[in-house]
Amino acid sequence: MQDPQRDPLTAEGAFHDAAAPAAPAVTVRRLSKRYGDVAAVDGLTFTLERGTITGFLGPNGAGKTTTLRLLLGLAEPTAGEALVFGHRYRELDQPSRRVGALLESGDFDPGRSGRNHLLTLAVATGVGYDRVEELLELVELVRAADRAVRTYSLGMRQRLGLAAALLGDPELLVLDEPANGLDPAGIAWLRGFLHRFAADGRTVLISSHVLAEVAQTVHAALIINGGRLVGELELDELQDGARSLETAYLELTGGLA
Amino acid sequence: MSRLVKSELLKQVTTRTSLLLLLWMTALILLVVLLHVLSLSTDHISTADGQLKVVGWGTSIAALFASLLGAMSITAEIRHGTIRPTFLATPRRERVIAAKLLAGALTGLAVGLLAEGLTAAIEAAGLAARGIHIQLTVGDYVQLLAGGAAAGVLFAAIGVGIGAIVRQQVGAVVGLCVWLLLVETTLIGNIPSAGKYAPGATAGAIAGAVQTQSAAKLVTPELGVLLLAAYAAIFAGAGALLTTLRDVA
Repeated sequence: MQDPQRDPLTAEGAFHDAAAPAAPAVTVRRLSKRYGDVAAVDGLTFTLERGTITGFLGPNGAGKTTTLRLLLGLAEPTAGEALVFGHRYRELDQPSRRVGALLESGDFDPGRSGRNHLLTLAVATGVGYDRVEELLELVELVRAADRAVRTYSLGMRQRLGLAAALLGDPELLVLDEPANGLDPAGIAWLRGFLHRFAADGRTVLISSHVLAEVAQTVHAALIINGGRLVGELELDELQDGARSLETAYLELTGGLA
Repeated sequence: MSRLVKSELLKQVTTRTSLLLLLWMTALILLVVLLHVLSLSTDHISTADGQLKVVGWGTSIAALFASLLGAMSITAEIRHGTIRPTFLATPRRERVIAAKLLAGALTGLAVGLLAEGLTAAIEAAGLAARGIHIQLTVGDYVQLLAGGAAAGVLFAAIGVGIGAIVRQQVGAVVGLCVWLLLVETTLIGNIPSAGKYAPGATAGAIAGAVQTQSAAKLVTPELGVLLLAAYAAIFAGAGALLTTLRDVA
């Protein structure tokens, strides 16, 4: 018999961990996605250990967003696999409680208010209304919450998207170009938030093509180009963080040529 | 599942799209029914059959708007990209489609009752203004409302299926309008032996009348329910299957 006092989230987490003991937050193995003759992702392999913030870097069209879509179960790989906590995303029982995602596409109905956007997702996820209010406060959208999203600036949309990603209090955050439209204060706030998030033992994957934004945030960087992994860097190995990351990135992606 | 249905209903009421569609429907019914009731010759509109053919517009318009609401519950999400957070929260996509079908059944039921009720009321008012007796019986009105509600439920499912198959909002909306307003009327007008089996005509069979046709040229209500339920199952099933198989852009 289950203890009725037991937190269902913990119980479910225990079940998943039993199925895949200490599985990394993300496991990508020989992942490929082809569209006709074009390989958007081509034999990509990497893992993310829990408690880390990893940058997923590469030029536009390198396959970053496609990889995230495969990881999140929005698209099916042509070959290989992408797992979160040892499972395919589409097989997770309550995915929002394990994984939160902010996609670059800005997925809002322009006619719906910010609060109602969160409420529709909260209801589907089984998260209480107080969590919605808590997150509106966290991302400083309380005053704009009842306005239609079409009136929001890009930065406000990003913050609303982050609130949506955090609804289920996930263990892994996947952020696609999260700094888009954020002002310097917003970027600094996001960096502080992600550091606290990871300090809890939780995991972050940030995709970006703007190196300066992530250089001060991430512990490690995966650099991809043409759908392939071309470099894997630990940031503390690099002296003079941001500039070294830029040099390494340009060398690895052939951008200096 | 009730959480997902609640989320779908919340999506419907938190934008103005559904409300605007209902207002358009009301305006369209007002226009079409008044035009017919006030312009048809007294000989024509005095008979039960003539009066039924006019209320049949309620069935056609209910079918159109129930299917549009069903289709747009998917295509609007694809158009604005909210389908991605929706599938991230519920990656078993067939459950999202099932929730949209159930939510669509409720809105389709409301659309069916509203459309048939409005049509009947406006016709009664127009007839009264012309001093013409109403020939329709209580039984006719009961069949109209119950049949319209059933047709609304099933056409919402057809709409959800079409929306999931077509994905493109403009394509789905134009396709449904062209089929129901143009192709079906042409079919039943020119080849009634085949046209009576088309989805809109079967809705008319259930409700007792469809745009310009009364029961005489339609299949029986029982066969109508069976056929329309089969259409709904085919479109909804195909839509659900394709939704689980295809990548999300």
